[in-house]
Amino acid sequence: MAYGLFLGCNMPAIRPDVEKAIRLTMPALGVELLDMEGYVCCPAFGTFPSLDEEAHLAVSAWNLSIGEKKGVDILVECGSCYRSLRSGKRCLDQHEAHRKRANELLAKTGRSYEGKATPRHISDVLLHEVGLSTIRAAVKKPLGGLRAVVQYPCHTLFPHKTVGFEESSVRPHGLADLVEALGASVEHFSAEYQCCGGAGGFHGSSKAEANAFAKTKLDAIIAETRADLIVVSCITCLMHLDNVQKELSRDGASYAIPVFDYNQLLALCMGFDAQQVASLCTVPRQAIVNALR
Amino acid sequence: MIDLDVAQRNLWQDIDPHGNLLYCFSCSTCVVGCPASNAIPPLLIRNLVRSVTLGLEDDLLDNDTPWTCVTCSRCEEMCPMGVDPFEIVLALRRWQCRNDETRIPMAAAEIYKRGYTQPVDKAQEVRASVGLTEPLPTINRLPELHQQFKDMLMQVEIIHNADYMFED
Repeated sequence: MAYGLFLGCNMPAIRPDVEKAIRLTMPALGVELLDMEGYVCCPAFGTFPSLDEEAHLAVSAWNLSIGEKKGVDILVECGSCYRSLRSGKRCLDQHEAHRKRANELLAKTGRSYEGKATPRHISDVLLHEVGLSTIRAAVKKPLGGLRAVVQYPCHTLFPHKTVGFEESSVRPHGLADLVEALGASVEHFSAEYQCCGGAGGFHGSSKAEANAFAKTKLDAIIAETRADLIVVSCITCLMHLDNVQKELSRDGASYAIPVFDYNQLLALCMGFDAQQVASLCTVPRQAIVNALR
Repeated sequence: MIDLDVAQRNLWQDIDPHGNLLYCFSCSTCVVGCPASNAIPPLLIRNLVRSVTLGLEDDLLDNDTPWTCVTCSRCEEMCPMGVDPFEIVLALRRWQCRNDETRIPMAAAEIYKRGYTQPVDKAQEVRASVGLTEPLPTINRLPELHQQFKDMLMQVEIIHNADYMFED
């Protein structure tokens, strides 16, 4: 089982420990990862999709054609990249006029778009291609005794017709199932399905309000659960829920719940080096790393 | 006071030619689930849709709130009338760009110039710290391919017309 690894922008540039965790864990679980030469930004919704539909779909087709040429589907961790690539594919596949124009724009580059490569989110591939039993069998250091809460990336839920891989977009449980396969217990709370608030222009244009929005989630975690850690599967959720805790802690309050991308936790449980797979963070992760020793 | 006699009644055709937004009955589902409805000023998609159907062109051209959207798409999932509110937000941004090139996102020009919204090609130190020492096959390392990418985008009218923003 081989996939083109779509890295996006934030993971390779700011949190490459997540990339390292993916590059170590997935092949060990039987998923071969191929680099996508000359890939570009997904395109992020705040860029070409906010400027021009033709340009948006040409960039989508550019990226999708790389997977297509290799004859593989595309593996994506970042929620925004996943949603952007899925939307691009859906639009190109459903509207002949859009597909025709995108191919006209691609023509001079020697590429073409036929719609053969499907973007798959890494949680989807772990759940439905690798499988929970393979993951359980690969765990050398289980998370026994640890309590986790999970953050579902909005971009893997909505709109279900474009991005969904779980039965329900409003009661997802895939990420919790994946975390439980590592031996942790997953606790539930009232704001579990609330967006992290970290994507798009909200945090940049209304920082205080975006932080207050994230605070409602963190306060619910603290009041309603005994969580030792937060598990996400999206680079934006990871960076925002990690970094926002420091911003909130400046006001006298103390927020210090370690945040992990799922594959980082998986890598630790499979025995990979913490320095390589989980060293870049704002809230210290040492307590969790030590518990796995 | 809003003078509807001078409003652009056909504005919706310029923004959402499929006319999905005409089915909106202002239930506000798109607002109550929206993270950016907490922003100041708040993103109130229902109000934006109403402004489009009334044809309030000047108000909409000056409105920054479509750009605060977190892109979560919960509104698109929950809208009972299939308005696809998130698509309306993107369509409004594009319409603003078509009418005012200062709205063109600088991040689009960054992708044109270097392929990414982050300096993916300048992160060697942090990448080496986690054992990633192989150079990534990023587009800036492939000059011929990068030129093809730029040439592809320069065929798009709005980019061609604002080429000074995209070229160094």
